[in-house]
Formats: sequence, structure tokens, C-alpha cells
Amino acid sequence: MFEDTLNERQSRIDKLQMAGLFGLMLLGAAFVYSATMVGESAGAASWYSQSWFKQIVWYVLGTGLAVGICCVDYHTLSRWSFIAYWTAILLLVVVLIPHIGSTHGWGARRWIDLGPFQGQPSEFAKISFILALANFLSRPVEELSHPLNFWKAIGLMLLPFLLILKEPDLGSALVLLPTGLAMLFAAGTPRRFLARLFGGVGILAALFLVDVLFAPPNWQIKLEDYQRRRLLVYFSKDYTPSSHASKMEVDRLRKQQFDDSHNVRQALISVGSGGLAGKGWRQGTQNALGYLPRKVAHNDFIFSVIAEEEGFVGSVIVITLYSVVLFTGIRIAGQARDRLGRVLAVGVVTLLFSHVFINIGMNVRIMPVTGVPLPLLSYGGSSVLGSLIAMGMLQNVYLYRKAY
Amino acid sequence: MLIFDQLKRNDPQLRLLTFVVLGGMAALLASLWWIQVVSARDYQENLETQSYRTVRIPAVRGKILDRNGSVLADNQPSYNVSLYLEELRVPFEAAYTAEAIQIRSRLAGQLHQKEKLLGHKLSSKERKAFTLDVQQRNRIQEQTHYEVASNVVQQVSRRLGQPLTLDYTNFERHYEERLALPYPVARRLDPVQIARFEEQANSPMGVDLEIQSLRMYPYGNTAAHLLGYLHRDDRSVEGEDAFFSYRLPDYRGAIGIEAGYDLQLHGRAGEASVLVNNLGYRQAENIWTPAEPGRNVVLTIDVRLQQAAERALQVYGPTTRGAAVVMDVHTGDLLVLASSPVFDPNDFVRGFPPGEYERMQALGAEKNRATFENYAPGSIFKPVVGLACLEAGMDPNAIIYNPGYIYVGRRRIRDLASPGQYDFRRAVMFSSNTYFITNGMKAGIENILRLSRRLHLGERAGLPTRQDTPGILPGLKRIRSNWFDGDTANICIGQGEIAVTPLQMAVMTAALANGGKVLWPRLVDRIESQDPTSGEPPTVLPSGRVRDELGVSPRSLQILRDAMRDEVEDAGTGARAVVPGLRICGKTGTAQVTNEHNQEVDRTTWFISFAPYEKPRYAVVVMVESGNFGSTTCAPIAAKIYEAILEGERDNAQKTLAQAP
Repeated sequence: MFEDTLNERQSRIDKLQMAGLFGLMLLGAAFVYSATMVGESAGAASWYSQSWFKQIVWYVLGTGLAVGICCVDYHTLSRWSFIAYWTAILLLVVVLIPHIGSTHGWGARRWIDLGPFQGQPSEFAKISFILALANFLSRPVEELSHPLNFWKAIGLMLLPFLLILKEPDLGSALVLLPTGLAMLFAAGTPRRFLARLFGGVGILAALFLVDVLFAPPNWQIKLEDYQRRRLLVYFSKDYTPSSHASKMEVDRLRKQQFDDSHNVRQALISVGSGGLAGKGWRQGTQNALGYLPRKVAHNDFIFSVIAEEEGFVGSVIVITLYSVVLFTGIRIAGQARDRLGRVLAVGVVTLLFSHVFINIGMNVRIMPVTGVPLPLLSYGGSSVLGSLIAMGMLQNVYLYRKAY
Repeated sequence: MLIFDQLKRNDPQLRLLTFVVLGGMAALLASLWWIQVVSARDYQENLETQSYRTVRIPAVRGKILDRNGSVLADNQPSYNVSLYLEELRVPFEAAYTAEAIQIRSRLAGQLHQKEKLLGHKLSSKERKAFTLDVQQRNRIQEQTHYEVASNVVQQVSRRLGQPLTLDYTNFERHYEERLALPYPVARRLDPVQIARFEEQANSPMGVDLEIQSLRMYPYGNTAAHLLGYLHRDDRSVEGEDAFFSYRLPDYRGAIGIEAGYDLQLHGRAGEASVLVNNLGYRQAENIWTPAEPGRNVVLTIDVRLQQAAERALQVYGPTTRGAAVVMDVHTGDLLVLASSPVFDPNDFVRGFPPGEYERMQALGAEKNRATFENYAPGSIFKPVVGLACLEAGMDPNAIIYNPGYIYVGRRRIRDLASPGQYDFRRAVMFSSNTYFITNGMKAGIENILRLSRRLHLGERAGLPTRQDTPGILPGLKRIRSNWFDGDTANICIGQGEIAVTPLQMAVMTAALANGGKVLWPRLVDRIESQDPTSGEPPTVLPSGRVRDELGVSPRSLQILRDAMRDEVEDAGTGARAVVPGLRICGKTGTAQVTNEHNQEVDRTTWFISFAPYEKPRYAVVVMVESGNFGSTTCAPIAAKIYEAILEGERDNAQKTLAQAP
């Protein structure tokens, strides 16, 4: 009898996914260490204030939170989803207010200072958005074919999207779109709505890009200058100075273009020079010599560090670990007890996938540079906590699956 | 696979999601494969070009030694104090930050005042004027770098007890272009300064001593012409890598042995690679290929003799223009190859004292007068004419009356030998123009020129000093047309269309002394490794190489030698060359240098000789421009050289005695 309960309890979590997550956290700690412990000054700080240790603390805290979330049935959680959603929206508004929102010298207001810690509300907004949308879409399928409900769902998605875009944080805002769409799709929204939405968004996106890349200056949508330049870099377009610009102006733009494409170029060199087997842990030169900027090496560009030091083999390991987590996630969605669990799981999986694809894609130049962290590997408390909470929700769906 | 279970189930939505995720991951893997495996090499090359700088490190130059092992050209360590800029990064940054904060707060104050004055806030565009733009930041950076470095230089200056200033533009250029290399602050410290710098335990931040090998000529201006000098040249020589990011100072021979044997002396430059970070500061350095030191060149010169000859040559002080050559008549070894005026080859490396370069230019001091200038031989050519006559069947005892002049056509040529009866012996002793013109015209110009050609007059002596002139000798074509008796008469007394170098005359004299062998002059004995323990065999150049044979009978040579002996010993024109204990055979010469109106404007005075008469070993040739007469100006110089030779032989004999068991 006792034996049975124990077995039952053990089989209640997805062990394969846990293994994948654990592997990612191990890699994360090792390479945050490698990326930050360079130069003479790195070893000077006491060990408990170094990035790698902080990262481990975040892992422990995040795991604790995930376990906590697993203790509460996701149905109970979803009842609180709207409170979580509006709290997140409130935080997103608050962060835009100068003096409260902190820029960290990046030019974008994304952080809220909480004494010794800074939080990125957008990370929590992503999770509460998934919870809220899942809750909204879990209503009977017939109601979803009502256009009003469809537009409500779209509204639910656009509100945080626009607020995050305003920070501005294009990457974090963009990942909401595929997540929302996948959830709508998985929930059983009629095809015609989705087709229209897809078409509409597609046309808008195409128009937007054409405008940014080809339109004469005074016809262009007002984008933040750096965002426009990032897009130009991605599409390998010259910074078009007006044809009658002075030589100095042309030179300035050319230099700016070189500087702006610097990160991408250096990330590519890091990844490529790693070769098949890599240079060995902490043997990468791109980061140590500062070609890969120190400011981003341990967060947005952590994948370059791994790829340089562990080569293609390391890249395959990272991709495999993410694949394990993603596909077990989809399996959990398939086994979910009800549509709420299913949509929730699909949301978490899509969110994770979007992050991974955009971040690694940016390192290998198939995606433009947007400040999207690599879940669990990139350094950063908010990102780690957010990812682990999302994973906790996924395990929660698994715990209360229909098999029993 | 277990995790793909949902594919089998009838769940189109999740199936699509699975395919999308699978596709995404596959796309990432494919790109990674392309970048990390297929084109990895390209990116590795990119990495190398951006993070490595190559530095050309010159090799230690080979030494030049004389025949007894005295070092004529050496290398001396030169100590520089250098700034290692990468060690100053922290103070650079601190200074910049402090300065930027100060300027920013001042700008903020100005902005505040302006807004107060206007009574409203400025728009963000107007505010731009009160923030630092990139150019201003760069300028502040430049200035703070300079200030930090300048402070360090002041510390060095106090320590060395030598006023030093940091040149702003130089420093900035170095910072922009050669950041990975140390910046030299003070060059060529003297021993006191080195001691002062080293005695204090902690040197100022980022400062260290740097050693550089510098060429040094311990004998100063001795043998300067044949040693030559160096000029700065950092380029790669053949066989070296042509592409370097930076090159350390290197030198190449410009002239003399330094130039002629530059390939051997120079060695092979090494290559270091400097790992630099994104800002260009040096992080690490390693030597890829070490420099191979150059090889030593051992000369046939005897530096003591050379010094003695150079001293003896200074009859009119340091501005005397002249040359002296001492040659071993059997081997062709050049024991002395002296030229005056002299210069100091050290000046080309260390810089000239004020006025020295101009003095050198005015005197033509760089020219090796022993090998690189044409001179009319005058009477010292008479032995060749005499030999040609004897071979043509002239009776040496036949007597010719000299009235004190001779008419050739309508031209009257003076004869400085006193009027009287002259046979061959007396004609040589007193250098009678009448005798040699009369007999030379009988023997014919062709005989004289044939003999001259066997002496290889009019051809280069084959010296590796890059200062080698062929002289002038008319060819057979020249004498077939438009050639008059007057021209032949001129040649007979060593004037007119003939010009020689002192070295050529030494080769000629040696041929008279050694029985008719025309030798190649030999200046370099061997080339050997700088490291005596290397076990590498030296390259020895062959000695006694015969270039040609005079092809005259021993009898004719003996008659000539006897006459030349009597010229010195029997109160002839060479009487002033007499040295006790040595029987010298000689011939004086005083050639006129004429202008276009055939007026004498200058004289070239000569003395050719060999000794000892019984068993000739040395040929000594002395030439002085603007001298008085060969007999009064040059013969005494030769005497001094012979004395030095004798002294050297005595010393050597004593040494061998002392070494004998």
C-alpha cells in the first residue's frame, strides 16, 4: 500500500523534463561563470556577489517557486489569473514612469528597483498573460466562435504587447504574439478567425518592413532610432543617408553601421570559431578579450560563449536539452485533463520556444538582434524566475493530468 | 520515441505545434552546422585577424672582425625606458571618468542656469547642446590619456634626473596606430641612469626598461669606408614574411661591407604575435619564429696596420684627401684599405653631432678614395710601359739623351729628370719622361695596352663594398681611329686617357712583385657563426685567386725590380721611403690634373712599392690628392706604413716565441 503511493507520487512529475531543465541550469551556471570570470577585476569581488553565484541563487529560488506552484491545482491558479494579469499590467504602466522605472543605462525603461534587486515586470507579464488567456479560452468551444470573444482574446494579448513595446522592448513584446496565436489555435478557435488574423498581421508586418527599409525618410513610421538600425543591420541594408548628405555625414553613418553590426559580427565569429569541438571551458577568447561585449556576453549572448567554448557539440547539447523540454511540454499538453490545462501547456511551450528560437537565431544571424534572453541559460533573475514559474505551471498540468 | 506520442494521436493542433517546434530546432541546428562546421575556418581566420598583431623582430646583426679577431663592428645593448600602455588602462579609465563627471556636472549647471534664465524647460533637442557627443568624448579621452601618460613620464624624468616631455602628437599617433607596442619615453640611457632607474624598488606604473641592440663601431672612424654604415630600414628581406602589423626598428647596410655582406650579417628576422583585446591593448605576446642572428664577417684587414696607415696618411691634417692600400702580394689579402678624410659610422646610428654631416658632405668623406675614384697614374704607370718595352726587345742598357724636354709633334713635354744620359735603370730611378716616351712610342701603344688589359685596368676590382670603380683604359677600337702620337706619349707617362684606383695600382704592384700573377684582391677571409659553440663550419673565401698572368719574362721583371729597388735605395726619387732593415722597391708618381685649357689645376701624387726586395710579401700603395710630389709627399707615408708592418711582425714573432713551449 505504502509502496504504491510512493510509486504514484514519483510518477506524478515528468522526470525527463526535469532532467532537461536540470541540465540547462547546470550549463547556465557553468557558462555564466565562464562569461563573467574574465579579466583581473573579476575575481576581486567576494564569491557571493559574483554573477554565477547569484544565478544559482535564482535557480534555487525559482525551483522553490515552481514547487510551490505545483502544490496548487492549476484550476485554482487560473481563478487568480485576472488579478495576476492586471497586477502585471499595472507594473508595466508603473515601469514607464520616470524615477520608478530604471533604465540601467540601456535607454529603455524595463526595470523596477526593489531595494537590492531589480525586477523586469515584462517577464512576469508574460506568465500572467498566458495564465489569463488560458483561463479566458478555457470556456466552452462554441463560445469561441463568437467574434466578440475572439476580439476580447486579441485585446488581452495586445494590451501587454503595446505596453512592453512602449518600454521599449521589442523582443519581449514580440514573443507574446506567437504565444497568443498558438494558444488561440490550440483552444479550438475557428480557422477563419485565425486565417484572417494571420493574414492581417502578415500584411501589416510586411508593410511595416517595407516602410522601414525602403520608404523615404519622411514617410517612415517613427521607430526608436536603435530599433530601426537593428532591422537595417539584420537585412544587411546600408544606412541610407539622403543622397545629398555631406561626406562627413556618410562617414559617420558608415562608422555607426560598423559599430551597430559589431555585436552580431562578433557573435558570429564566436560561434563560428568554436568549430566542431570548441576551445574548452573558459578558453574562449572572444569574450575574454572583450570583442563580444562584456555587458551582453553573459545574458543575451550567452549562447555565443557556449558555442565558442564547446563548439558544435555544445550547440547540439543545448538544442537537445531544449528539445527535450519542449517536446515533453507538448506531450503534457496532449495528456492534459481539460482544455484549460492544454492551452496553458501550449502557451508555456510556445513562449519557451519563441525565446529559444529568437535568441539562438540572433546568435547565428537568422533573426534580428532583439533583447530576448535565452531561458535558464542567460544571466538574470527575472528571466530565470519567470522561466521556472512557467515550468512549474507545466508540471502542474502534468500532475493533474487525466491519466488518473 | 516516447515524447513524440502526440504525433500518433488524432490531435491536429498539437501535431502542427510539434512540427513547427521541430522545424525551428532543425533550422537552428542547420545554421549552426553551417557556421560551426562548414565555414568554421573562415570565422577562425576572422578571429585571428582581429585579435592578433604580428611584429617583426630584427635579428642581432653579425659582427665584423679584422684578421686578428679585433671587433670592428659590434652590437651594444641600448636601454630605453618604455611605457606599457596596457598597464595604464585602469588609470586611463579613472581619469576619463573623473573628467567626464566634472564636465557633465558643469554642463548640467549651465543648463540649469539657462532654463532659469528662460523661465521654461528646454526641449530635448535644445538640451543636446549640454550633453557630450561622441567627438567630445573622444577628445576628452585623448586628453586624459595624454595627461595620465605625461604624469608617468614626469615620474620617470625625476627618477632619471633628465628632463623629459611627452610629445602630444607623437603619443596620440602611437596610441592610434601602435597601441600594442610599448611607447619609448627615454632612449639610450647611460649606465648611471640605468642604475638610478633600477635601484628604486617599485618603478612607476606601466614603465619598464627595454633593451634594443644597437650597432657600434669600437674603432670609430678607423676603416670606416670599407666597413660602411647602416641606415634605418624595417622592410622584410627576401625569404621573410612580407606582412607584419608592426615592425621594430631595423637597419640595413648602405655601403661598404655592411651593405655588401648585408644578407649574411643581417640574419633572419623573427616574428612575434601579440594578442590584443577589442580596444587594441596588448593582452599576451608570444614568439612564433625566433630571430636567427646574422653571421660574423672576418676581414683580411689588420686593424693596427690600418690605424697606422690612416694616421700616416694625415699629412695635411684630417682634411687630407688620399688613400693607402697594403696588399699581400701572394694571397691578394688586403691588410690596409685606408681613405681620408674619414667619417664616423657610429653617427649614422646615433645621430650626427651638429655640423658633422655638412662637414662630411663638403669633404666627400663618404667616398672610399682607394677604390671609388679615378686618378691619373702619372709616373707610376712607367713600370708597365717599361715592361712592354723590354718585352718588345728594348735593350735596357741602351742610352738615350734627355735634354730636359721632348717634342711630340709640335707639343713640348717637360722632363723633370735633370738633362743627361739615361739607361733603363736611371730612367726609372729619376722617372725620365723623355726615355719612356721615346721607347714607349717605339714599342707601340698596342703592346702597352695589352699588358694593361692583363692587369685588368679599366675593370672593377670585384670588391664587395659597393664602392668600386673600373677606371679608364682605352680599348683597341679607340686606338684604331683618331689616335695620335701625342695620345700614346701621354699614356707612356701615365697621363691622358687613363685613370686608375689605388687598389688597382696595388694589384699591379703585387703582380710585379710576385712574378707576374695578377690577383683578385681579397677583403673578406671567412663568414662564421656568431656562436663559436654552434659547430657550424665557417665559409672561407679562397685566397690567392689568380685573375690573370702578366705573361712577361722573369728577366724583364727582374730588371724592373732592380731599377725600382735602386729608385729607393740609390738616392732615386723614392729615397724618402727608406726604412732600415727592409729593402723596398718603389716608384713615385706625380700626375697633373688639368682643366679644359690644359692648365695644371691640381696634382695627384703617388708612391707604389713592394718589399722586401729579396722575397716580396707586401705591396704598399699611397696616393695623396693635391700633394707636392710623389717623392716628398707619398714616399714618407709609405715608410711609416712599412715601419708599422715591421713592428707588427716583431710583435707577432715575440708572441709566437712566448707561446712556444
